[in-house]
Amino acid sequence: MTSLEPMLSFTGIHKQFERRAILNAAALDLYAGQCHLLLGENGAGKSTLLRILAGLLKPDAADIHFHGYSKPTMSWQKSRPRLRDTVMYLHQSPYLFDGSVIKNLSYAKSATQGGSHNDEAVAEVLSWSGLDDLAESPAKKLSGGEKQRLALARAKLRNAPVLLLDEPTSNLDQQSRERTIALLASLRDEGVSMLIACHDLAGFSEIANGRYHLAEGRLVRSEA
Amino acid sequence: MQESLGNAVVEAIALLLSGDPALWEIIGISFTVSGTAILLAVMPAMVLGFALAFYQFPGRRLIIALSNTMLSVPAVVVGLTFYLLLSRQGPLGDMRLLFTQTAMVIGQIALAFPLLVAMSHSAFQAVDRRAWETAITIGQSSLGALFLIVREARFALLAAVLAGFGRIIAEVGASMMLGGNILHYTRNIPTAIALETSKGDFAQGIALGIVLLVLAFSLNILLHLFQGKGVLS
Repeated sequence: MTSLEPMLSFTGIHKQFERRAILNAAALDLYAGQCHLLLGENGAGKSTLLRILAGLLKPDAADIHFHGYSKPTMSWQKSRPRLRDTVMYLHQSPYLFDGSVIKNLSYAKSATQGGSHNDEAVAEVLSWSGLDDLAESPAKKLSGGEKQRLALARAKLRNAPVLLLDEPTSNLDQQSRERTIALLASLRDEGVSMLIACHDLAGFSEIANGRYHLAEGRLVRSEA
Repeated sequence: MQESLGNAVVEAIALLLSGDPALWEIIGISFTVSGTAILLAVMPAMVLGFALAFYQFPGRRLIIALSNTMLSVPAVVVGLTFYLLLSRQGPLGDMRLLFTQTAMVIGQIALAFPLLVAMSHSAFQAVDRRAWETAITIGQSSLGALFLIVREARFALLAAVLAGFGRIIAEVGASMMLGGNILHYTRNIPTAIALETSKGDFAQGIALGIVLLVLAFSLNILLHLFQGKGVLS
């Protein structure tokens, strides 16, 4: 795995909250078609790290290296637009907008097709996520598992090369967990790079290629 | 007294139903002035309300405190302030706006703006913080994300607009001072009610009062209908 060139690298990530260093020179690489787990104690800064990587939270410092670009290394601030086009972040409890399942899907802009997607693509992700029968149902009334699958369907439609997930199976029953993990495996097999913050190793061990352990602001990498 | 009040109410309803031109002209002026004021105030107020809810910037707390303070300023004080600004001796006297519908619109914007800011700020604050991040991360532009947030808060924002409209269409102080209650030009519902009542002509005052009551009732029923049945979704 280490012989592969990463698609995206982050170095020197620093973030403090009220003078407490949450991230201290953290660094990580993300590879196409690979899934890494992000482990750490509660409050270690996993969600903070994911939101920085997604371009949603400003770090105190960070450099981002987009491999394969003419100007690959940029500061977080300069790379924010590109980060938002490359990385998609899924909250632990997905936020779904008021309206039907299909309405929620319509809000997702494809990262690779100029923002648009056709009805066929929507039908495909509905079928992929097993939500065909719920297409017209109000999204906010779905069960936890269905909400998570809708969030993943939205991610598939978005077609971002990197997917960051914050404990995607917490609060889900066994069956929903298995369905969610199967969908994640399918995305990984399509070439999506994934970083999953989680506590439960067992659930993700089948799809994970490696792990990052976050402790005292630093990331330590280990192979699966 | 009871009999004369009853007669006045009957006469008021008859005036309304008969399409009395003088009465309906006053109603028209009220709706034109207040409608213009709310249309002009709503967009900047809601942008400010959004910024207050979603961004941290210098002076944010001061703006919140000011808009909350302005909520309790009487309309007549707002009217007096703009009267002094727009009167011939005032700094804006050369514009010759005093006793015009434009002056009334300015006064009503000043009244509606803080209410719209405070209520839209609350409306946007009630929207889950994840909504903005989700909108951005699914590929929406900042404008697209703003549209989605507005959509999420639409009922509360509509309530803000209705409350703002309700406040300015019924206020008498600023309209009287800035419009001057000129017949066929700046006489609106509240200034007409004040004038007709002082003259002892209760029928027209009651007729116009009924219009305001029906308006307030209709707007609230509409809002509840939209909220209950999801007409706006």
